[in-house]
Amino acid sequence: MRVTRGARIVAGTALLALAVAACGGGATQSGDSAAGGGDTPVRMELGEPQNLLVPSNTTESEGAEVLAAVFEPLVNYNENKEAVEAAAESITSDDNVTWTIKLKPGYTWHNGEPLIAQNYVDAWNYAANQDNAQGAGYFFGRVEGYADLNPGEGKEVTTKEMSGLKAVDDTTFTVKLAAPFSQFKVMLGYTAFYPLPKAAFGDDGKVTAAFGEQPIGQGLFKLDKPYKKGTDQTVDMTVYDKYPGTKPKGWTKLQFKLYNSSETAYNDLQADNVDIHDALPASAIASAKTALGDRYQDQPDAGVGYIGFPLQYNDEYKDIKVREAISMAIDRKTIAETVFSGTRAPADDFINPAIAGYRQGACAACTYDPGKAKEQYAAAKGPAKLELGYNADGGHKEWIEAVANNLRANLGVDVTVKPFEKFANILDDLDAKKYKGMFRMGWAIDYPSAENYLSPIFSTGAIKTGSNYAGYSNKEFDDLVAKGDQAATAEEGLKLYQQADDVLIKDLPYVPVYFYRNNSGYSNKVKNVKINLLNQVEWAEVEKA
Amino acid sequence: MSDMPQAGPVPQDTQTLTTDEKATASPPPAGGRKKAARSASLWSDAWYDLRRRPMFIFSLILIAILLVMSFWPSLFTSINPFDARTCELSTARQGPSSGHPFGRDSLGCDVFARTIYGAKNSIIIGVTTTVITALVGGLLGLIAGARGGLTDTITSRVTEVFFAIPSILGALLITATFRDASLGIWLVVIALSILAWPMTFRIMRAAVLTARGQDFVLAARALGASQARVMFKHLLPNAVAPVIVVATINLGGFIAAEAALSFLGVGVQSPDISWGLMIADARNRFLEAPLPLVFPAVFLSVTVLAFIMLGDAVRDALDPKLR
Amino acid sequence: MGRYIIRRLIQAIPVLLGATLFIFAIVFALPGDPVEALAGEKRLDPNIVAIIRDQYHLNDPLLLQYWYYISGVFLHGDFGKTFAGVSVSQLMAGKIQVTLNLALVALVMEAVIGVVLGLWAALRRGRATDTAILASTLLLISVPTLVTGFVLQLWLGVWLKQTVGFEVFPIAGATQGLKSYLLPGFVLAGTSIAYLTRLTRTSLVETLRSDYIRTATAKGLSRRRVVGRHGLRNALIPMVTYLGADLGALMGGAVITETIFNLPGIGLQLYQGVYLREQPIVVGIVTILVLVYIVANLVVDMLYAVLDPRIRYE
Repeated sequence: MRVTRGARIVAGTALLALAVAACGGGATQSGDSAAGGGDTPVRMELGEPQNLLVPSNTTESEGAEVLAAVFEPLVNYNENKEAVEAAAESITSDDNVTWTIKLKPGYTWHNGEPLIAQNYVDAWNYAANQDNAQGAGYFFGRVEGYADLNPGEGKEVTTKEMSGLKAVDDTTFTVKLAAPFSQFKVMLGYTAFYPLPKAAFGDDGKVTAAFGEQPIGQGLFKLDKPYKKGTDQTVDMTVYDKYPGTKPKGWTKLQFKLYNSSETAYNDLQADNVDIHDALPASAIASAKTALGDRYQDQPDAGVGYIGFPLQYNDEYKDIKVREAISMAIDRKTIAETVFSGTRAPADDFINPAIAGYRQGACAACTYDPGKAKEQYAAAKGPAKLELGYNADGGHKEWIEAVANNLRANLGVDVTVKPFEKFANILDDLDAKKYKGMFRMGWAIDYPSAENYLSPIFSTGAIKTGSNYAGYSNKEFDDLVAKGDQAATAEEGLKLYQQADDVLIKDLPYVPVYFYRNNSGYSNKVKNVKINLLNQVEWAEVEKA
Repeated sequence: MSDMPQAGPVPQDTQTLTTDEKATASPPPAGGRKKAARSASLWSDAWYDLRRRPMFIFSLILIAILLVMSFWPSLFTSINPFDARTCELSTARQGPSSGHPFGRDSLGCDVFARTIYGAKNSIIIGVTTTVITALVGGLLGLIAGARGGLTDTITSRVTEVFFAIPSILGALLITATFRDASLGIWLVVIALSILAWPMTFRIMRAAVLTARGQDFVLAARALGASQARVMFKHLLPNAVAPVIVVATINLGGFIAAEAALSFLGVGVQSPDISWGLMIADARNRFLEAPLPLVFPAVFLSVTVLAFIMLGDAVRDALDPKLR
Repeated sequence: MGRYIIRRLIQAIPVLLGATLFIFAIVFALPGDPVEALAGEKRLDPNIVAIIRDQYHLNDPLLLQYWYYISGVFLHGDFGKTFAGVSVSQLMAGKIQVTLNLALVALVMEAVIGVVLGLWAALRRGRATDTAILASTLLLISVPTLVTGFVLQLWLGVWLKQTVGFEVFPIAGATQGLKSYLLPGFVLAGTSIAYLTRLTRTSLVETLRSDYIRTATAKGLSRRRVVGRHGLRNALIPMVTYLGADLGALMGGAVITETIFNLPGIGLQLYQGVYLREQPIVVGIVTILVLVYIVANLVVDMLYAVLDPRIRYE
């Protein structure tokens, strides 16, 4: 999953917002090239990308945002949350197993090479190969032959290709999955699925560092110069002449300005020093509503925050009545309003409102009811001492403390709040049985499908290979998800996923606490700023005001 | 400069006391016998002097109040901040109201009660760190100064290593590393002590070196006094004054350093209360609701001030040259 | 002189090695896996973890790892790469600039304010001005950086902006040139200003008592000339010592100031490096700070000789 922007919104400070490493450079390079005359750029706020700009190694939001401007994905997402073809002409399958992808004509790489189907095959094989240690390699786990490229630690990879991936001709390639998956098309809009040009690879077959600094894409914008991480304060790009899609009207230059705190960026937004800020901090919301007026936007974001139960490690949480009581003791609404100032919404389903399939109020035990909670907790003889772990690097402390106070006050129990350095440390300590308590968990989707809230976090298979950290296992749930994966139509699939969602609501392996919101603002100099499902700006629609 | 008594630049207070082997323009120390005679009455002189200093009296009163606050916080507030039922999330960040003179913090807890209960950790950490560094640094400094030779060379090199490490950063690393050792606030004490003892060491060593060459010490040695006797009977009493001065002044610095570490998230951990932690918790919404940050900040400053004033007064009393 | 410098540099080697090894060992012992820290909230594939660990020698014993590192630094000037594959030297270059700017602004403020106040107090010794200056230095020493930072941010940053209608002192970030550094520079310099004021006052008072000053006054020189030419010059030695050594301390102590004002300097970077377990960054920054400390001390000792003709190094 991606490191969410949410982390930045909560942290709101450089103190803990580690996803956003500090940006460098002397004070003299303010990056404000507006004075240069000519075509002044549209300036967009950005946190420092964690890695070099290689699509298959980009799993965090900041790098993805830059790459999204440079590359054209196979599909985009429309206002109805559906995937629509972008660089692809068509994406079809008869059996949800073999998918045929045809490319739209007219796309060329920024170095002039034409875009061909082989570019996708090369990029995906590269991403999936364990020798290349690509962070987003797991996206290809459903493709037949993925296992051959990932034989395991210390073992040699004997092939360079996934057997399921074939370029039929220059404009067509086929993908054969290991098992049917009806949502495959929806996945394809993500960073990991971008193609790579021949020029990306060095003599050793690896993507070069030079490419990582100045990626050559086939999308709307072409980088003006390499981006030197640590020194550069901006990433500058210009509209690519030969881009066949819609180009923005009246402007051609785009500049990402690097900030190490969203507060600083917000100050700059008010002073018109930056044009678009898509991750306003909680502390700025009240001021943004009045200061920006119409230029402030608040829309659902696909992320979800939970409290998780260590079901496979600790029997104290085995009783569903105990979990329900804990869920009912949490005052989600007040937490969303005061701790998050409205940058979160109280959660009432496992599926997020940004995605098709969400049902308002689906989770009855997610309603705050301290009286019933206390009664039910006492009746079920819930543990007298609870532990609540969180990772201290993501700005989660405040809401976790608020939840702990809810539990202390409403259930009359002792709650120890335990900070861990990183999320991975919680998991390690659970594995090592050093920690047995509840833990915070967040999920930002990998692809916009209801299925993504279910199978990767709660299926039995995900205990070993996915993010099922609770160790929850329910055959009914697994079967419903599998049926959904094989459904002939999207609607039919969605119904089955919702039934699986109902099983979760009944079992509460995690309790959903909040849904993320995307809070953005823009300056007086631009208008018509739309932010899509992936929290990326629809650049072609932005106009200068 | 960091809050922690920093090793790098030697502040004026200590510099006048440190006579390093380095060539300085200051005049050679006074003759031994004369100084020995004076040192007998140094303490009574100092005490006489101190009693008449308003700054000393004032700081003692402040410190007395802080001590009471640390050990009997319930005398000051009826709210127990460790009871979650006293927090009301929907009142988060509200200003002062009746019963809540300092207002509420971002979790809706009473800021006044938390501020009062926060005194304890500051005092404990400040005092124990001071005692540990004075004992460890003082003893090692005494031994190194008295024995000289290889012992001196090695210990001095070791202290140089610690001097070269920026203290707050070093303490940050140590506390972050051993955070899981469940040492609680003692981890902070240990981290601060590890980085601060060389300072006491250096001062003690310099004072001992000065005393060592003096006639009465040479006489004691000539009369066959044992090494230990020379060290504790003759050298220590003549070198202890500067160490006491520096220790008192440092105490305030350690309290500030604890707050800094807690602010950075590696000091005192919630649910335990510390002023530094309260400042860290309030900082996100500082511009909207400054009070939850301002009150612990004021208490912290007053506490540090009280100890620094005490140190200042003690220095003036023990080091008449400065008057 | 040359031999003295060489001797001092040789003496500095064990200090440098000791300090870096100490830091290296602690960072090595930091809990959690640095490679897994890369992945955020998703568990990395164990294959990938193993491959990265191998690339960075993470499976080797501590001393061997230290050797790889320190030999890289001193034999090739290479501070290594972060686990995300970015060159540490490149990463640090920009951040050091910010911290250096901050420390220099602080140092200038410290020198100017400290000397002026100290001089003023010394010339008005025993009077109300003197007492007031001494009292305010006591206050400056007592109020922790943590507090001055936030208080000044609120008063001079926010309230002043609301009152006068435009931003006088930016409260965060390093994007507005010198202006961005004024407030944090003062906060960082706070304690040092107080110490320097006291130091200037004390040394000047002592100097003004000495015989040659009395002689100079007796000769009929103007007071301005006596104080400026004879008094101040001799009082300069301890002041210069303090200022020189303080540069290193300011750079090393900047972490709190940088955190409060969101300045992307090495203090903030190191703090984040600790959390991300980026050993190369943490050790790299500390190595640089240790070097600054050693060089600053050496320079100060050299300055002694320049300012005080009585001191000669052999």
